[in-house]
Amino acid sequence: MTSLVSAKGVSKRFGDVRAVDNVSFEVEKGKIMGLIGPNGAGKTTLLKALLGLTDCDGDLSVLGLNPFKQRKQLMRNICFIADVAVLPRWITVSKLVDFMEWTHPNFSRERAEALLAETSVRSDAKVSQLSKGMITQLHLSIIMAIDAKLLVLDEPTLGLDIIFRKEFYSNLLNDYFDGERTIIITTHQVEEIENLLTDIMFINDGKILLDASMESLGERYVELLAAGEKADHARGLGPIADNQMFGKSVLLYEGVARDRLEEFGELRTPAVADLFVAKVKGARK
Amino acid sequence: MIGNQLALIRREIWEHRSIYVTPAAIAVIVTLGTLAMLLFAGGFAKELDVAIFGAQNLAGDTERKVVLTGFFIGTSWLFLFALAILTVFYSLDSLYAERKDKSILFWRSLPITDAETVLSKLLTALIVIPLVAVIAIIATHMVNLVITSIWVSAKGGDAGHLIWGSVPLLDNWASALLVTLASAIWMSPFIGWFLFVSAFTKRSPLLMAFMPLVVIPLIELIFVRSTVFFEAVFTRRGMMPLFKGMDMQEFFDEDRLRFNAEAVSLLSYLDVGQFLRSPSMWAGVLVCGLLTTAAIYVRRYRDES
Repeated sequence: MTSLVSAKGVSKRFGDVRAVDNVSFEVEKGKIMGLIGPNGAGKTTLLKALLGLTDCDGDLSVLGLNPFKQRKQLMRNICFIADVAVLPRWITVSKLVDFMEWTHPNFSRERAEALLAETSVRSDAKVSQLSKGMITQLHLSIIMAIDAKLLVLDEPTLGLDIIFRKEFYSNLLNDYFDGERTIIITTHQVEEIENLLTDIMFINDGKILLDASMESLGERYVELLAAGEKADHARGLGPIADNQMFGKSVLLYEGVARDRLEEFGELRTPAVADLFVAKVKGARK
Repeated sequence: MIGNQLALIRREIWEHRSIYVTPAAIAVIVTLGTLAMLLFAGGFAKELDVAIFGAQNLAGDTERKVVLTGFFIGTSWLFLFALAILTVFYSLDSLYAERKDKSILFWRSLPITDAETVLSKLLTALIVIPLVAVIAIIATHMVNLVITSIWVSAKGGDAGHLIWGSVPLLDNWASALLVTLASAIWMSPFIGWFLFVSAFTKRSPLLMAFMPLVVIPLIELIFVRSTVFFEAVFTRRGMMPLFKGMDMQEFFDEDRLRFNAEAVSLLSYLDVGQFLRSPSMWAGVLVCGLLTTAAIYVRRYRDES
């Protein structure tokens, strides 16, 4: 496997605050990686460093390039949506497509027009006349018309309603992802994307709490539903989270074999959101 | 590189419609003014009557040439004045608006360097806006000359001789082009300063740009009792060195204009060589270059989050 992104000891400080604190990870080609973290965890700073929008300490290489020093070359093969509202409000759809065609060597006008034809976005409309959902459709159509190796999505569906969010992700998977491309995505709404991710990374206070493939999560983490005395016994095995639900205890274990837990109650693979909460709380203790 | 520049400059014109709307509006106002004067203002029409037709009977072509040249210079200065104001607002907005509406993140997601982007804004202020103004000047002159010709012809005059034969059009337009471009280059340190302020200020670029220009000379005057800053920035030891042996009072001297038929060749008042040799001009260009570089660095290194 080839590493598309390689970070070794990457840090970024703002004064005394370490927004990203000595982080190391790799992202391989063909992966869809979810970058999950609470507000102010350093997600956006890390993405900005990957995109060459901010400089940082440590070794960071994206597609073999130094993102900050070689941003122009990098941007030929990367595309990103940073937030839904970043398209300039004064531009019209057709001018935006023109501009992309003139400046982006990997942009396909035909593909953009085909994608836009499937939406309700008219080519003579100004961005300021479009609804938030339509702006995202427009932005995504533009981005998906770029033949890029890496797509970075930072809270792409923030502020959109559920229908748009579902459509957004199904478009992304059906029209864009082909196993050759790589996607890095951050979001608060983990449950919406967890079944499309191949890999996941938790970040909190600038540090990585978890960096694993989705497949390995089921092996490493297990959730036990137990009641009464059985739950008390199970607590002796050191759960990393302990919650109550409908009179039962929901206990989350890391690295404890399933056969040791089976006798106490029902086992299941934890939801990413629950795992995330457990990890963040654990880190705070 | 050049392809990107053209695309970026087109984007500037899309975004800042005032670049062509302002000159077009002035052209319309001037033309409507001419029409109104010819149709409704009896006194003016009579004066013009004397200037244009009277010249046939009086002392040759001089007076007519003075009137038409006066019209050329007057309208051209109107455009230059508007151009100056337009350039101030454009350059102050150019790197500020994209941060304010957060579109900077979108622009920076494209394979375009910060240097290319800032350069396109400098070129727009320095060359595109002046060129649009010159085109507007030429168009205004043409339209107004045609209108005046129709008016003259309606009165039975020979417009070809009385109007078109009286003004060296190419000479005047070449002068307008030279003066406009040279003014932009002469004022380029201000453009550089505005771009820099536009790149770094968090709010009210207009205030941030002009406050130091007012406060620093005042402080210098009060505490040091000198005017070095003011002179270096504003007067730069005299007029723009494009004008030949220049004395504005002499240039506008009525008698001189009235009795010197040669006065109509505006080009003969300009000295491009003197402008290109002027250390003061090059010093300004250098300051503009430094401030523009600073603006590029601010756009590149500043983190907007």
